Amino acid sequence: MHDITVVDLSRWQFALTALYHFLFVPLTLGLSFLLAAMETVYVTTGKPIYREITQFWGKLFLINFALGVATGLTMEFEFGTNWSFYSSFVGDIFGAPLAIEGLMAFFLEATFIGMMVFGWDRLKRGQHLAVTYMVALGSNLSALWILIANSFMQAPEGASFNPTTMRMELGSLTQLIFSHDAQAKFVHTSIAGYVTGAIFVAGVSAWYLLQRRHVELARRSFRMAVLFGVLATAGVITLGDALGFIGGQAQPTKLAAMEGLWKSEPAPMPFNLIAFPSQQEQLNRGQVQVPYALSLLVTHSLDGTVPGVDQLEQAAAARIRDGIPAVSALQALSAHPGDPAALAQFRSHQKDLGYGFLVQRYAADVSKATDEQIATAARDTIPQVAPIFWSFRAMVAMGLAMLAFFVLAVIYSMRNNVEHKRWFLKIAVWMIPVPFLACETGWLVAELGRQPWTVYGMLPTWMSASTHSVGYMVFSLIGFVALYTAFIIAEMYLMVRAIRKGPDEPHASGDGRLINDRSQAARVAGYAEG
Amino acid sequence: MKTFLQFVLFMVIAVVVILMAIVLGGSGAWYFAWLVGTGMIVLITAAGGALLDAQDEHAADEARARVADA
Amino acid sequence: MELYAVLQITWWLLLGVLLIGLAVMVGMDMGVGTILRYVGRTDLERRVALNIIGPHWEGNQVWFVLGGGAVFAAFPLIYATAFSGFYVVMLLLLWSMIMRPLGFEYRSKLPSAAWRGTWDWALFVSGLVPMVVFGAAFGNLFHGAPFHFSWNLTSTYTGSFLGLLNPFAILCGLLSAALSVFMGAATVMNGAVDAIHERARTLARLSAALAIVLFAIGGIWVRGMQGFVLTSSPAPGIAQTPLQQAVSLVDGAWFGNFHAHPLLWIVPMLGFAGMLLGLLAAGARRSHLAWWLGAVAWLGVIGTAGVALFPFLLPSSSMPAQSLTVWNASSSQLTLTWMVGFAAVFVPLVVWYTSWAFYVMRGKVKAEHVAADEHAY
Repeated sequence: MHDITVVDLSRWQFALTALYHFLFVPLTLGLSFLLAAMETVYVTTGKPIYREITQFWGKLFLINFALGVATGLTMEFEFGTNWSFYSSFVGDIFGAPLAIEGLMAFFLEATFIGMMVFGWDRLKRGQHLAVTYMVALGSNLSALWILIANSFMQAPEGASFNPTTMRMELGSLTQLIFSHDAQAKFVHTSIAGYVTGAIFVAGVSAWYLLQRRHVELARRSFRMAVLFGVLATAGVITLGDALGFIGGQAQPTKLAAMEGLWKSEPAPMPFNLIAFPSQQEQLNRGQVQVPYALSLLVTHSLDGTVPGVDQLEQAAAARIRDGIPAVSALQALSAHPGDPAALAQFRSHQKDLGYGFLVQRYAADVSKATDEQIATAARDTIPQVAPIFWSFRAMVAMGLAMLAFFVLAVIYSMRNNVEHKRWFLKIAVWMIPVPFLACETGWLVAELGRQPWTVYGMLPTWMSASTHSVGYMVFSLIGFVALYTAFIIAEMYLMVRAIRKGPDEPHASGDGRLINDRSQAARVAGYAEG
Repeated sequence: MKTFLQFVLFMVIAVVVILMAIVLGGSGAWYFAWLVGTGMIVLITAAGGALLDAQDEHAADEARARVADA
Repeated sequence: MELYAVLQITWWLLLGVLLIGLAVMVGMDMGVGTILRYVGRTDLERRVALNIIGPHWEGNQVWFVLGGGAVFAAFPLIYATAFSGFYVVMLLLLWSMIMRPLGFEYRSKLPSAAWRGTWDWALFVSGLVPMVVFGAAFGNLFHGAPFHFSWNLTSTYTGSFLGLLNPFAILCGLLSAALSVFMGAATVMNGAVDAIHERARTLARLSAALAIVLFAIGGIWVRGMQGFVLTSSPAPGIAQTPLQQAVSLVDGAWFGNFHAHPLLWIVPMLGFAGMLLGLLAAGARRSHLAWWLGAVAWLGVIGTAGVALFPFLLPSSSMPAQSLTVWNASSSQLTLTWMVGFAAVFVPLVVWYTSWAFYVMRGKVKAEHVAADEHAY
């Protein structure tokens, strides 16, 4: 039997290590394609300053990448070390994308990153450019396979339970890969990374412009970053809506939590702009509503409705009652493999097996589960509303703020006078943490919203964890916190130091001098006009 | 004021584009959209960098012409 | 034979290939980390050693990631049971592994001697500890691990951390570390000249000699050990769980496969031959040849363990009947089929572009170049 303290500690550990890992991933996803764009300009125009620009941002990219790789190893281990039952229960499906990720994507990224760093003098320009594109492609393909795996947890498709082997088994790999949830989730996450890379480059460039250092590098980087950013932000918002639409159908409980929707209401449903949800009383203490908006947002029509917590709990209770005979039959099948009566009983209740598991947390012998235990288990199917509700709003608000920022940044940058808008440059520097926070809150919405399941509707979180002692979990948590704290200090220190130091030899070559003179003249002209 | 109006105009354009994408996209072929979109974003970004150099050269030429006139 | 059984054996072989790839490629980098403080006396010498593997360690490390991913995909029950059962060991392995990327990237970013010295120790720990753990894990397979399953295959581990550090496991851990030092030393010999090259040569010869002795002792030890024998189970190629079999313990049973198929003796012979000829090649300064012979030695050693244990993958010492085998721990037929397909396409591709990367970066790493190059580690 599982110790719930161990399950909770395992969840904390996974959340902390995943959120930490996810601080570095988005920047890798976005900065790699920005590097590719910068190097493209270098190769097509031959202007050496773009080589400097690529190399400088490449250096920052590597400092970030190292920690992303290091903490990614943790994720690869943690399913086995801490989510042992999860791993054996869905490993037949979940393991495949992880292995393919290593085979197809991570190898590509990691092999070519060595070439990208060390190959400047050994490769032809075109070859090196191709290597940089391979790194960008590899890192994003990596995200693709991880998110395909994650989508299986969110909206399990292409798999079914096999009572002979007592686990979920793959039904269709193509269905798994091309599930709507996986498609929308990958694109949303990947281009959220682009936005992160864009804000990072724009922010650091703005800081140089404020300091009047490395101006030529900073102006060009800023221009490229904001164009990259404005398009990517528009994409993120589009895909955010698509993901909400798809995810809302697959996981109505997550949607209800995101919207603070306790009571089902007739169409057109109002949108809770601000609310203070209380899990205990299942209501919002005070709310500011926008009429009609929820129907429009989540169903894309005025007469659409989505179920509230009240309906969802009732539906869950019914499914739990239906799932109980499935669990009993499975237990019988474990003792007597192939027993026809048990198999028939299992088949007729199979679709609610996961719901039967939910109540097993309270009643080890599910056939003796009381009404009260079933009600408790049904209540469990509603995730923690307040943190999801607020994380969601924070993410959306930050996304819209970044869109506004980028639109203005593009205007200034295209007019070629952003270096004189000091107030705006200061804002740009302060924008740097925003995309990172937005990514983290996005993770929280996705993963907190999936609770109490690891695989939605199939496998409850409480069963998924390894059967460790509390002592083991305390040991590993302390180790991770200590190690990760030391790492982030080293990383931040090196990153800030590399940014302060700036690029090594600013355009020393003859050609670079020419650009510098011309730009100087252009700026003088700018001053004269402005 | 001019900047503000431009900002409003471009924000409206952005919102319209997003709404169109939402309506047209639905639960569509997002992998394909990513492939095309990423290529497009990278190319536009690269073009933006090259454009800055062109703007600089143009401004420098104009400045030089002004100096010559005076 | 059932198609499913063929796939299971294919994946058992592929797992062997991946583990050998892991041992060779990651082991070589780890070996360089282990011997870093010995082959490099000055900071610049250490940077030379680091930069020999600098362009490649990142790609090499993916063999490790892929090893984990492949076990997960092809034998999920092994992944679930072993990783959670060996919790403390796995964490030590993980924590020492995740110091490595930072050691490479961050070490030479600051001039401070204390900073660099700290990272040199970190690289030493992250080179030695994972290789010892890797070998010790194999050693524990021969004894079995104390785990059992409930009705729904929730695994529970009843052993302690110290139980995993038994004498035979330590012997295997040392063998693994010795081979990794040999590969690391051969790599350094490939890329370095003069004093660094000479120190690496000394270590290569020592570690090869040590590996021969340890491998021989290991063989004799296993002969006297109780092995596991599958006495009844559903036929290979039939979907099954570990709850449906009977297993007995027999003295010397781990030699059973070799007695039944004497041709298999070639596998341990390959191990000995690789080590012995590797020793001679290192002595003759034929470092490329020594490296390849080291790879052959790994093939022999890991192959020997795999052949001896087959069809067992992870025997249970506390509940032998619930031991995990190739037949009861694998993925479904469909998953195995897809994964064979992906491996068939991508493993050759990976080997191809990895070779290209090594070709581009061929040649000696010069101290003056490292000192001048701003990209160098």
